[in-house]
Amino acid sequence: MPSLPIWEFDVLLLVLVVLFALISLSIRNLMGAAIVFGAYSFMMCLIWAGMGAVDVAFTEAAVGAGVSTVFIVSTIYNTSATMQNKPGGLTFKLFIGLVVTLTGAFLLSALPDFPEWGDSESPANAVVAPYYIKNTITDAHVPNVVTSVLADYRGFDTLLETTVVFIACIAIYSILRTETAKSKTDEPEEEIAVLPSYDPSDSLIVRQASRFMIPFMQLFALYVIAHGHYSPGGGFQGGVILGASLILLAISFDLKFLLGHWSEKSLMLLVASGVFLYAAVGLACVFMGGNYLDYVVLDPILPGKGDMARSHGILLVEIGVGITVMFSMVAIHINLASNGRFDRGL
Amino acid sequence: MEILAYILISTGLIFFLGTTIGLLRFPDFYSRMHAAGKGDTLSTVVILLGCICIVSTQGGMNWLLGLKILLIINFIFIGSPTATHAMMDAGKKAGAEPWRKDSK
Repeated sequence: MPSLPIWEFDVLLLVLVVLFALISLSIRNLMGAAIVFGAYSFMMCLIWAGMGAVDVAFTEAAVGAGVSTVFIVSTIYNTSATMQNKPGGLTFKLFIGLVVTLTGAFLLSALPDFPEWGDSESPANAVVAPYYIKNTITDAHVPNVVTSVLADYRGFDTLLETTVVFIACIAIYSILRTETAKSKTDEPEEEIAVLPSYDPSDSLIVRQASRFMIPFMQLFALYVIAHGHYSPGGGFQGGVILGASLILLAISFDLKFLLGHWSEKSLMLLVASGVFLYAAVGLACVFMGGNYLDYVVLDPILPGKGDMARSHGILLVEIGVGITVMFSMVAIHINLASNGRFDRGL
Repeated sequence: MEILAYILISTGLIFFLGTTIGLLRFPDFYSRMHAAGKGDTLSTVVILLGCICIVSTQGGMNWLLGLKILLIINFIFIGSPTATHAMMDAGKKAGAEPWRKDSK
């Protein structure tokens, strides 16, 4: 989509971004800082959209403004809403200032080595980008170049990104979920009761509205994953929206209600199975006689004739990414909201 | 049709102005949320209706775009008041005092 060069709008957005960043740093109440941080992410999302990077804007809106705000709020809910840092002495402040200045100087000293912004002669723009743009249709039958670069030309990077999400989930799990054995021996009846037992004082309106919205959210997320070849979107964005729908379920009803549908064990199995699907597609390529993640050789076992194999390979990989991201988000939220106890949420 | 669209969008902007004034001027949490929730929803809906008027008369497959905006209106119409309600509820649980005539 060609964006009109309305530079006043860009200037306004940049000013707002800097303003929100400063406000969220200087606010003493952490809950307010979290909200301002969400607004900051949303402004960044608008800037990405204005630059034509719609895929990035999509991710920023879903992750930055949406789910990460929920994560921060649930973390604050379980800790404390006011900052309690003790200001250090003068030496400490001087030391911090020195470190920051030195790091900044080093970063700035590397700046002249970068190519000019938008320089058509720079290596990235002169060699790689034209190849992707010219050949994505003939190679992979994927009109959205971002998707073909993400999942095909640079499939290794995306595999490792998915693994990073997986590792983050495992890390939060292993830090917070430490009371499994204890709670099972202490009060076994509480653990067995997985039927909806939400607080009746909770709002009926919120529950009904969520019940209405969640199917549409999930339908849209499936569309985003499946249509990522043609329009902005893909596994990460769709997975985050799917995860957000389940988080909404957990917030508007109860954690137990969610865990009654997706048990803890199945959640973790699914988180792992997404990465496994991605890696297995790569291994299947090796077994069929090609390189790792070289989808062309999958042609005999995938539907569609001829060179559609790469397109279908991308779809398989995106589904893997979607599954991992979705259930990672849910698992992280459950852990953060209940402080690893899995008994009650926000 | 275009004139209708401009009328609708201007109406929406006027309602937004009212929302902002209400949000800044009302004395307590509940009346502020009242201004924000109602005005915000109505003005967004009216502005989007104006957008439909502009978009759907441009011919071709653009009526489909209008239909999508209609769906967005539907979700805003349900989601925004629900969010306001949830915030009111949270405010009540957190113990926000409603404003009375005799309170300072």
